[in-house]
Amino acid sequence: MGNKNNEIKTNDNACGCLIDDLIGENLENKKNKREKLENNRLCGSQESDLEVYVDPDNEKVSYDYYMRKLTDGLPIIPPTKERLLKCLQYTDQDPNDVIAILPPRQGKATMEKIVINSIMAGCIPAFIPVITCAIQAISREEFNLPGVNATTHPAAICIILNGPVSREIAINSSVGCLGPGNIANATIGRALRLCLMNLAGAVPGIGDHATMGSPAKYSFCFGEAENENPWTPLQVERGFNKNTSTVTVMAVDAPHNVNDHRSRTAEELLDTIIHTAAVSGSNNSHVPGEFLLIMGPEHAKTVADDGWEKNDIKNYIHENAIVPVELADRGGRKLDEQWIADGEVKITRSPEDVVLVVAGGAGRHTMIAHGFGTSSESVTLPLTFKDGSPLHSIQDYKNQKIIE
Amino acid sequence: MKVKIIERNILNPSAEIEASKMELTPITDTISKISLFNNTKPNADVILNTIAENSDDINFVYVKKPAGAPATVEQIKKASEADISILALGDCGSCTTWVILDAIKLENNGIPTISICSHKFSTFAHELAKSHGIENLRILEIEHPIAGQSPEQVEIKVKKILPKIKDLLKLHKK
Repeated sequence: MGNKNNEIKTNDNACGCLIDDLIGENLENKKNKREKLENNRLCGSQESDLEVYVDPDNEKVSYDYYMRKLTDGLPIIPPTKERLLKCLQYTDQDPNDVIAILPPRQGKATMEKIVINSIMAGCIPAFIPVITCAIQAISREEFNLPGVNATTHPAAICIILNGPVSREIAINSSVGCLGPGNIANATIGRALRLCLMNLAGAVPGIGDHATMGSPAKYSFCFGEAENENPWTPLQVERGFNKNTSTVTVMAVDAPHNVNDHRSRTAEELLDTIIHTAAVSGSNNSHVPGEFLLIMGPEHAKTVADDGWEKNDIKNYIHENAIVPVELADRGGRKLDEQWIADGEVKITRSPEDVVLVVAGGAGRHTMIAHGFGTSSESVTLPLTFKDGSPLHSIQDYKNQKIIE
Repeated sequence: MKVKIIERNILNPSAEIEASKMELTPITDTISKISLFNNTKPNADVILNTIAENSDDINFVYVKKPAGAPATVEQIKKASEADISILALGDCGSCTTWVILDAIKLENNGIPTISICSHKFSTFAHELAKSHGIENLRILEIEHPIAGQSPEQVEIKVKKILPKIKDLLKLHKK
């Protein structure tokens, strides 16, 4: 019954049993009745009669974790033990295995902690091997995670997937592949970011000092459209078999579009790309380094139909993407004399610095993303089991668990 | 029958820290040579040169290193050819990171260091040193900003920290 404040009053001893049940029970079990009387209770019901486990309230957990600086600001999926166990079916690592020590905080990225952050990001269990591989890749010395995490530069970490596993988990490599709309693209990149915040300590203003941050830091992950690539896909270019699934990580700015609907030759089209890329203010202008080129399939076809191979493209961009020295030498680090030739600076150190992949849907667009300069090199790693043997299918882990 | 509703526990996403501890290398009483480790950030040279100009009877080794990346083995080796190394400048995220991490390498090699960081990044510098087990790394704060300032403006800021540098170098005893 409600009181005048409409509050429902309940008796702590009320169990909800029907009166008929109470009478029946009392007649059947006198001992039980005695206990009930001692406890001043109406029946023998115990709190443990039926335990129903429910998920924590998303809104409450999201708010709590947000206030503790454990999220990127978006709501999270509560990381429960049940979800953890499901995800651990997709790895042969033990939960306490340390995959990497992540700077600046020198946090231990154990398998369990990587999974917890992936759950929070909204990943499904089948994404766990990809995220684990990405963590291994960013911890390579040449990637320079201490610098990438702490820099005032808006360096995001782009994750590029190649090979059968990328198709198996249905990562988007086609229309809208840079987002939004696909769970793998959206959550794998987000999982890496949450790992950086919670394991590495790359919390904005504490271990991540990006002056303004970047929307690309929420998630920047896609697959290469290998079937649309007229040349060799990225993992093959880097020495792996086309049936090898790989994860490539690269520290880059947010992508910038190159709109070219009119060029009919390779040279015309590449000139548009070069004039979009060769700008002062990027790290490439004062510390030349890698440069990401995500060529749309229609642009790739125009260039390939003109008889240009991948190396021709890389050479052309390397030779022609140039910034005048007076504009180039305005970055954080003094422009080194070795990069200056005839008063100009090439934005790449060599043709190999042009990291070219094909992705996207219909339309005559390409995306470029400047790199972190000489301070970080991209890393490509194959998806493997703990013993280093290659992973052919994401289901291999589950099959292995069944055999065990 | 009673039904108990239990909310599942949520797990902690934060990492444990890889614990390490290292000792600071003491500064000797008689300093005759200082390496000035310049990461080529704007006005880092002005800071180091101002220190040199105000330190009598000292020899200097001038070494350059990358700003947002680790010093090479050769650069560390050259910076180690002195009684102490002064590193400048940490006035951004990645350059502060590698001023501190390279200073730790030198300390590990038995070379005492002084790292100069702008006050906007000195908290991070201290935290970074702490996470690497050397909480008491010598980090001197200089007033931010340094980049985009004239040499004269920077010299004024350097002169404010010169007494602290001389104290650390024990030059006042000379």
